[in-house]
Amino acid sequence: MSGRVIVITSGKGGVGKTTTNANIGTALARAGKKVVMIDTDLGLRNLDLLLGLENRIVYTIVDVVEERCKLKQALVKDKKNPNLCLLAAAQTRDKTAVTEEQLKNICEELQKDFDFILVDCPAGIEQGFQNAVAGATEAIVVTTPEMSAVRDADRIIGLLEAKEEIKSYKLLLNRVRPNLIKSNDMMSVEDVVEILSAELIGIIPEDTGIITSTNKGDPIVNDENALAGQAYNNVAKRIIGEDVPFLNLEEDTGVLAKVKKFFSKMIGKEN
Amino acid sequence: MKDIFTGLFSKVFGFFRQTEQVEENAKDTAVNRLRVVLMQDRTNLTPELLEKMRGELIELLSKYVEMDKEALELNFEQEGNQMALMLSIPVLRAKDEDEIEDAEDEENEVCEDESSEENDSEEALDEENNENSEEQEENPSDAENESNTNTKHSKSK
Repeated sequence: MSGRVIVITSGKGGVGKTTTNANIGTALARAGKKVVMIDTDLGLRNLDLLLGLENRIVYTIVDVVEERCKLKQALVKDKKNPNLCLLAAAQTRDKTAVTEEQLKNICEELQKDFDFILVDCPAGIEQGFQNAVAGATEAIVVTTPEMSAVRDADRIIGLLEAKEEIKSYKLLLNRVRPNLIKSNDMMSVEDVVEILSAELIGIIPEDTGIITSTNKGDPIVNDENALAGQAYNNVAKRIIGEDVPFLNLEEDTGVLAKVKKFFSKMIGKEN
Repeated sequence: MKDIFTGLFSKVFGFFRQTEQVEENAKDTAVNRLRVVLMQDRTNLTPELLEKMRGELIELLSKYVEMDKEALELNFEQEGNQMALMLSIPVLRAKDEDEIEDAEDEENEVCEDESSEENDSEEALDEENNENSEEQEENPSDAENESNTNTKHSKSK
């Protein structure tokens, strides 16, 4: 087995890299794939929180490279899904604690046992980014329909294109607000795709459910009724190679529409 | 709590904004500003450099053709993954061989006689072009103004 190594990156902070990582990883695992997530944000780790695994971490990636433990010992299994593992970042060290070469070796080692290795990249374009990208052959660039996020995504795309190892990169547009797009207050999905001229792999609507799911340490893909959860599930399917149409976000997402949807689902089940 | 207030504010504000007629909406402004800034990011080419390039291109090309210098456009355009430098030159007429030779001779004279370079170049170039090149070389502030209008121009595209 030789797993795919996908780095999830964005340039700008706070656009939803870690959330994306947690959700795509969980969705892939739910689809029966063996998945390991690597948090490379040394000193600012958060992926463990989003997965609700913060109390289970014994060893970190730094312990692995400094040979205080075996790689397999450092992998933390997810609570719900045995297909899913996390290799946590060290919280007390900085970006220099792991080198590009070391990360590359870890990815190569993990490729033998897992279908997917998702690398959570820190914000910025410095060494942390270089490290995270080192072992990857694919990338997902997360951005939002905001100017600063798009500009930073463009920088990241430029850097990714310069890397021979990265064979493909795709764009994930996060925190899309259909109402604002409708009123011409926000750039549309088409605008961003055209400006960055990158292939789209997912459109994730802004969803307050993300906040509660983060608070609970339970990724939103586990909630089948959440729109953002469905959107992330679709991203995972596209990664696997399924041809899934993008969600129609234009539809009314008001309370009334939700009630309607609920009832139509009930009727659907009875039939 | 803060989110609720800012959300409410933007809703109220948005309501009033919708009632009045706005020329350019926030989305278009964002798209246009981004286009300009990304061109500069991607190419490392500042508006000043672009303007300098424009000036030099005019100088070079006017040896061969007579053109409408005001209407000359130099812009970046994106075609898929490829960035292209688009130069649009409204040609009034092509110069004949004698004129081109004359221009070349005068150019050579300029090179030979460095001490009176300024005077020679004034003779060598036609009046319009001379005005233009003087603006470029002697008044950096003017060049800056021009580059500003150029940025605006590409924004409106």
